[in-house]
Amino acid sequence: MSSKINGQVSPHSCSHLLQFRRRNGPDSFRALQDCLRVKPPGGRASIRRDPAEVPCCQACGESGSNRLYACVTCAAVSCHAPQLTSHAAAHAQSMSPGHEIAVDVDRAELFCCECRDQVYDQGFDAAFVLAQNTATTTTGSTLMQYSAEPGNLRKRRRVDYRHWSPDSRECVTMTNLSTPLYDSTNSSDVPWGLRGLNNLGNTCFMNSVLQALLHTPLLRNYFLSDRHNRYHCQQKNVANNDGKNGRLCLACDVDAMFSAVFSGDRTPYSPAKFLYSWWQHAANLASYEQQDAHEFFISMLHRIHEKEEKDQGKPHSQGSGDCCIAHRVFSGILRSDVMCMACGFTSTTYDPCIDFPLDLEPNRGGSAKSSSTKSHNSCNVEAERISLNKDCSISTLKGCLERFTRPERLGSDQKFFCQKCQVRQECLKQMSIRKLPLVSCFHIKRFEHSSIRKMSRKVDGHLQFPFSLDMAPYLSSSILRSRFGHRIFPFDGDEQDAPNDLSSEFELFAVVTHTGRLDAGHYVTYLRFSNQWYKCDDAWITQVSENIVRAAQGYMMFYVQKMLCYRASEK
Amino acid sequence: MSGPNDDNHTELSSYFFEDLLDSVIVDIASECHRIARLGLDHNLDEEEEELRLSEEACARVADPSYNGEMNSKYVVDIFGQAHPPVATEIFECMNCGRSVMAGKFAPHLEKCMGKGRKARLKMTRSSTAAQSRHSRGSPVSAYSPYSNSTSAHRLANGSPAAGEPYSNGTSEEP
Repeated sequence: MSSKINGQVSPHSCSHLLQFRRRNGPDSFRALQDCLRVKPPGGRASIRRDPAEVPCCQACGESGSNRLYACVTCAAVSCHAPQLTSHAAAHAQSMSPGHEIAVDVDRAELFCCECRDQVYDQGFDAAFVLAQNTATTTTGSTLMQYSAEPGNLRKRRRVDYRHWSPDSRECVTMTNLSTPLYDSTNSSDVPWGLRGLNNLGNTCFMNSVLQALLHTPLLRNYFLSDRHNRYHCQQKNVANNDGKNGRLCLACDVDAMFSAVFSGDRTPYSPAKFLYSWWQHAANLASYEQQDAHEFFISMLHRIHEKEEKDQGKPHSQGSGDCCIAHRVFSGILRSDVMCMACGFTSTTYDPCIDFPLDLEPNRGGSAKSSSTKSHNSCNVEAERISLNKDCSISTLKGCLERFTRPERLGSDQKFFCQKCQVRQECLKQMSIRKLPLVSCFHIKRFEHSSIRKMSRKVDGHLQFPFSLDMAPYLSSSILRSRFGHRIFPFDGDEQDAPNDLSSEFELFAVVTHTGRLDAGHYVTYLRFSNQWYKCDDAWITQVSENIVRAAQGYMMFYVQKMLCYRASEK
Repeated sequence: MSGPNDDNHTELSSYFFEDLLDSVIVDIASECHRIARLGLDHNLDEEEEELRLSEEACARVADPSYNGEMNSKYVVDIFGQAHPPVATEIFECMNCGRSVMAGKFAPHLEKCMGKGRKARLKMTRSSTAAQSRHSRGSPVSAYSPYSNSTSAHRLANGSPAAGEPYSNGTSEEP
């Protein structure tokens, strides 16, 4: 059907299209560029014509219900009714050879009259996109924004593979200065590094996130490869004479935790030193009460970043991930487009992001529990449950992502100043992902706080999340492509030269779930090793079936790029 | 009785409506055809499979006879270990040096470091009382014996925790 080369799709062409291309040379469709009418935002493109002109079939005069096609060679317009008569096919046969290809007058799509099917051509699509581009831009190009590109998206350099094995001296060093890890329990089936975390008093929010991070592939590899050696770091801090606070380094405590958890000891570990360290950093969050796991996650990554930035002394470009391991693993870049509804002019900005906050569907109704109403809830809940059964639509993670990248019409009270029109206009806003992080964390916004109504509530409903996720439809290149009618064209983000180093396929490896009420709930993490799932409930590690995980109420889902995810072969 | 003009009207309107509707349907069909031909929907099968598995899982778990998971916390873990509901490991507090039980470490540390709502309220009460007693108002109150910790430095600025989110008693997210 079609093959994918460098992120671009080349469709197979029918023999008539091939003949046409051969006959008319490489720029077969360039001439059509001037005939294409610009696609307004949210509308459809078509063949340019006078406002008063009504195209009609040259054979029968029909201009209504049947589709009209203009022959690319002689511009004769014919109608085509699929099951009935096709004057377009008749035209092609009578004038053959050379008149087989026509273009849909109302949709600007190529049509092969002999095959009686829509066909696709890269050259035509390029002409189409260029026609759009020249019409909608003045100073800022929306398609190939090389100037506005985030500067850190340099072409990925490929490094030559060099084999290394230790020489005899290195072997001796390694043998003398290291201790072999051994598993005290004789269960070699249990994955390494699986160890319970003691609850230190309402700290399940912290334990759940820590379990996910302890098994985040890149983070784990970084710390276990001694990339942040806590002894060196502490010595360096003392040498720098930063004082007591200078020795505060959350990454050092994380390093200690990795060492402890992967030591082979299976008794539950108490992350006490880590808690103490974190509270010294994040004073406003330091209190003995239930807290939000996501808030902790952000706080922890932020502290690791801060210390690194302070040590290195120079600021890094946002989103590049060069600043610290936390950003290297989790940060991506979001693209935000604001399109003027009147002229189509688009203003684009790039922002780094460390996770993806997603809203559940609005008006979920049924299972939302409000903490402000305490009594007489029983009959309400029953009624809601009945109505929920009637609702067949399932909430899915992909649905949330689709909503995240959907074009949103900003209200008339949020008019945007269009540089082309020089006046405030209504606009469409659309988000997309310019650069995917190596590990994507999806945060489902289940806790709603309304400062107006002085009320907080938790949204309980189930969200379906896949074990394998392809993020391609949410990339900037895909979103842009769909905005231009899915035309074949290298859009912002499409790698032209290098084959896809990093694909858009992700694998789920950790799920943090929350059960219970807003004020009295419990966090639990499910971890995936090969295709086996383990439940990490504070100190208790148990094996569970994947059904439990699929049915669980996901709060934070962690996905890693498929190529970075090592798994035993299933075959 | 409706005259010939009325009939023409309704006929014409439904004709135009059908024409518009056909046009819209062909728009969508054309777009779907393009998406399918260019292979932009190559994951459809996998997506449907995931949805099916999810539905099955939810149905199975909802079944009261399902025994895939022990809900109780008081079970034996995969290493064959049993743990008490409140962690009993004993270690030294790194702030004050006292021996603390793991499960009670957080509340201990909170008081020990002078953080948290109750500790802060105690601090402000004592510091404002101290300020009223002494004309110059010593910033270091009697409740902060751990002068090395950062918390004392924060509160030593004298302000009765005015800017802090906890001071007005509202609860934060869990």
